[in-house]
Amino acid sequence: MLLRRRDFHALAMGASATALLSRRALAASAAATAVEAAKQYSGEEITIVWEAGLQSLDPLNFSGPKWKEATGISVKVIEVATAEMFTKILQEHRAGSGAYDALNVIPAWMPDLVRAGALEPLDPFVDKYGYREELQEIAPVYRDNQMTVGGTIYGFPDDGDVFVLYYRTDVLGDPAIQAAFKAAKGYDLPVPPTTWEQFYDVASVITETTGGKPFGAGQFREAPYMQFMFQERFRNEGGRFFDPQTMKATVNGPAGLKTFQGWLAENKVMPKGVETWGFVENLAAFLQGDTAMTVSWPPYGRWAAGYGTDEAALAWVPRSQIAGKVGYAMPPGGHPQLAAGFSLCVSSSSKKKEAAYLFIQWLNSQEVSLQRVQLPFALRDPFRDSHFASEEYRNRWPEAPQYLAALQAGAVNGLLDLSLIQTDRYEEALRQGISKLWAGGDPQGILDEIAAQWDSITERIGVDKQRAAYEEWASKPNAYPA
Amino acid sequence: MAVTSAPRVEVAHAPPRSRGVGDRGFRYAMIAPAVVVILLIGLFPLVYTLIVSAQNITMMEEDTSFHGLMHYRALLADTRFWQAVLHTLLFLVIALPAQLVLGLLLALLFLERMPGKQVFVALLVLPVVTSPIIAGALWRLLFDNRFGPINQILSWLVGGEVTILWTVNPGFVYPAILIAEIWQWTPFMFLLLLAALASVDQSLTEAAKLDGAGFWTTFFRVTLPIIKPVVWIALLIRGLDLFRLFDVVWGLTQGGPGTMTETVSIYAYVLAFKQFETSYAAALAVVIIVLLSAAVMWALRRVEIAR
Amino acid sequence: MMRADRGLGLALRYLAAVLVTAFFLFPIYWLLAISFKTPDEIFAYPPVWVPGSLQLSNYQVLFKDGDYVTVVNSLVVAGISTVLAMTLGTMCAYSIARFRTGGDDFALWIISNRMIPPIVIVFPVFLLYVRLGWVDTYVGLIVLYTAFSLPYVIWMMRGYIQDVPLELEESALVDGCSRWQVFTRIVLPVARGGLFATAVFTFVFAWNDFVFALVLTRNAVTTFPVQVTHYFGGQSNFWAKIAAMSALGTVPIFIVVATLQRFIVRGISLGAVKG
Repeated sequence: MLLRRRDFHALAMGASATALLSRRALAASAAATAVEAAKQYSGEEITIVWEAGLQSLDPLNFSGPKWKEATGISVKVIEVATAEMFTKILQEHRAGSGAYDALNVIPAWMPDLVRAGALEPLDPFVDKYGYREELQEIAPVYRDNQMTVGGTIYGFPDDGDVFVLYYRTDVLGDPAIQAAFKAAKGYDLPVPPTTWEQFYDVASVITETTGGKPFGAGQFREAPYMQFMFQERFRNEGGRFFDPQTMKATVNGPAGLKTFQGWLAENKVMPKGVETWGFVENLAAFLQGDTAMTVSWPPYGRWAAGYGTDEAALAWVPRSQIAGKVGYAMPPGGHPQLAAGFSLCVSSSSKKKEAAYLFIQWLNSQEVSLQRVQLPFALRDPFRDSHFASEEYRNRWPEAPQYLAALQAGAVNGLLDLSLIQTDRYEEALRQGISKLWAGGDPQGILDEIAAQWDSITERIGVDKQRAAYEEWASKPNAYPA
Repeated sequence: MAVTSAPRVEVAHAPPRSRGVGDRGFRYAMIAPAVVVILLIGLFPLVYTLIVSAQNITMMEEDTSFHGLMHYRALLADTRFWQAVLHTLLFLVIALPAQLVLGLLLALLFLERMPGKQVFVALLVLPVVTSPIIAGALWRLLFDNRFGPINQILSWLVGGEVTILWTVNPGFVYPAILIAEIWQWTPFMFLLLLAALASVDQSLTEAAKLDGAGFWTTFFRVTLPIIKPVVWIALLIRGLDLFRLFDVVWGLTQGGPGTMTETVSIYAYVLAFKQFETSYAAALAVVIIVLLSAAVMWALRRVEIAR
Repeated sequence: MMRADRGLGLALRYLAAVLVTAFFLFPIYWLLAISFKTPDEIFAYPPVWVPGSLQLSNYQVLFKDGDYVTVVNSLVVAGISTVLAMTLGTMCAYSIARFRTGGDDFALWIISNRMIPPIVIVFPVFLLYVRLGWVDTYVGLIVLYTAFSLPYVIWMMRGYIQDVPLELEESALVDGCSRWQVFTRIVLPVARGGLFATAVFTFVFAWNDFVFALVLTRNAVTTFPVQVTHYFGGQSNFWAKIAAMSALGTVPIFIVVATLQRFIVRGISLGAVKG
């Protein structure tokens, strides 16, 4: 189902009005409380750090203007590229200039930022503005892992990021391709593939059979995204990041090699130049019907269904040619990475903490977040049980219920990003290794190099300290596949 | 630009006499404000960096106890640092001569009278005054393997689809950065050399030609020695700029793939502001300052622009 | 015969000149072209060489979201630091040029300050500014750019002041002018061409700087080169914004420099070549 712009606005407004009314009858909703309390700061400006590009469309075009209208507080969005976010936030904390009020923080960094003292504890605000109850309704995996550090609330999980396998039901269901598959591989074409071996088989047969129209699969390959894909696949293949006794890095074991070699093989059956693809290139190829399978974040599913592509803000997204032909599943291996995600935090050096807090409570509240995860141009993905269950959302397009079910299942089976002391340095080593892989380096050699770098980082930080941090992380239920 | 009106090459500028009257107060008062500001940003940081480099401050710990030369020793054994030095020198030894030679050829092309010459020269200045980070961004758009025009032009030339991954393939990332760098700074060489060439006394070259010397013989035997001071100055300015190469590489590859194009400046940035290895980065800064100061003093005296 | 040869030679040189100029201008053309393209045209394959129309939506969005403010920041920071550096630097240059204050070594030390990599300076300066509370403030950037421009200004103005005939000053002194009056009433007016040219290049260096601004700005005083890099990465490279923002910050400089033709060579060669 295609939404026209004005339909969308009508829907959004109507939804918020009814939600407001029904809740007001019982008690003031968290959103309404925030708005009321924030009015005293009318006329002020708060700044919020947001990921550059698509992510920022939400505060720029929707939540920022709406908040201003409701409270008189204007919101200045500071767009920062993902790779620079951690640096900028920590640098700013060091400088203490109070330039940032509210922050988007990738949950894996939260422990580091808390250790450095960059984040404001939120419990006092949560109690003061009665937000505890609504916070509890966030889906457990996000609530339990992306909200607190050492038992104190530092951020509100705000983005149900999880990898999903998208596949073309028409291509994988094509009898000619299925026959060719059976002949070539000796077993029935799995719809969808559930292991990476099957994924490769399916992708290669499609590419061969169709001559690349479409290619069997496409994938973003830029290192910043692939480090998440590495973490996911490595663990699905049975890998462990460290030896828990010695804290020696074990990324260069067989699981790592299998992951790297798998990627290199897949690249050969994907479109030329796939090594440089980012989020948008991969999206464009999939929406235009050039590729039959891909693993990515949840927004792909909405746009592939044609949801919201009439929006002016999305004018640059190619129109989906594949609406109604997309299936959603767990990525091969069955344990998708809860890749990145975002928590909303308040900067400890902010001079407007109260106003900043109220803004993030309002953003994150049941009522407003439900609108935000349905924004046609949004990159925020369902993260509350009420989002997954929303009738409104389930009616957005015919396959929306399956879509939401896939996201909810992902939230249960998902794997947490690795989070240690100075996580960013470990990730940086991983990113550099991956870009060397695309540059034609030897997989095992690169993995050994990554492991050596991890070891030297661990030594620099202190083996005992890091072991304690790793133990704490690894003991979480979603750290490794059960 | 008045390139046609013979420019003067300043090599041995006679210092004017001081009048020697009671101007001491005045002359020191005149330099005082500038010196204070330069020292604030020049000397203070140096001293501070020296102190910090002997401590052990990291992202998580503010350890200000004395650690001696620990970081300097670590730096000597840091292969990533030495590779960064190597990359920087590699950019330098390729880009510098390339810019010089191309700039010289351009200058020779535009040396003689030509209608509309001023317009050409005016247009050729533009790359030089473009912000280097913008130049990096610009070339990133041009080198995009799918939406950029360079692969498209190449595929016209070879008559088949070309998908060179300029910022990924190690065989092409150096050429990509070098092309961007040479694009931006060849016009700089060109402008300087054109001005210098225009100042060469025509009668000298005419005389050489009458003696039967060919164009290139005349150029190497007569013209080049005359413009040599300018060539040195141009090389010095560009050489030092290349040694601190940051922006263009940052715009194109950020030092990648891996650390294959990481320069000393980029490594220093990563250490100081991404890894927050405050003390270690300070040690690196000290090493760069020492090496460079020595080189600069030597080179400045050598080209004699101080006189 | 000679004439025909000459004509042919000129035609060939002309052709070469056009080709070379086209090569050097093409990247700039491409930037401007993207800034006018629609999303479809930017993400078209094969690439579109000429935008269908001069539509301005890529620029409009910069004004709607307030990104254009970074150009204003650049203007304030580069403008004020240029005025300061010119004032302090010219005074200092006069003292050096007329009295050889500090001798050759002082002059050498001044210019060697210009050669130090910005990344080396910015690091301790950042730590200093943290103490002073100058990070992400106009004051912080202005002081830094002033200090970094001073060696250049002193060096350049020293050359221009040396060109001022000594006789002029001497006769003014005889007429009873003080040293300061000689400086402001005789030297500065005579050297005004040099003052103007030096100021423009000082401005351009500050305007184009990336490293200092990258480290020392967050939000309030972000300059336009830093803003451009913010569009990289994320979930997509916003090509339209990159191109439009770059054009917004670059074209004014092109216009200024194009009007200053005759000072360029001396300006960029640190005064070593007098155009």
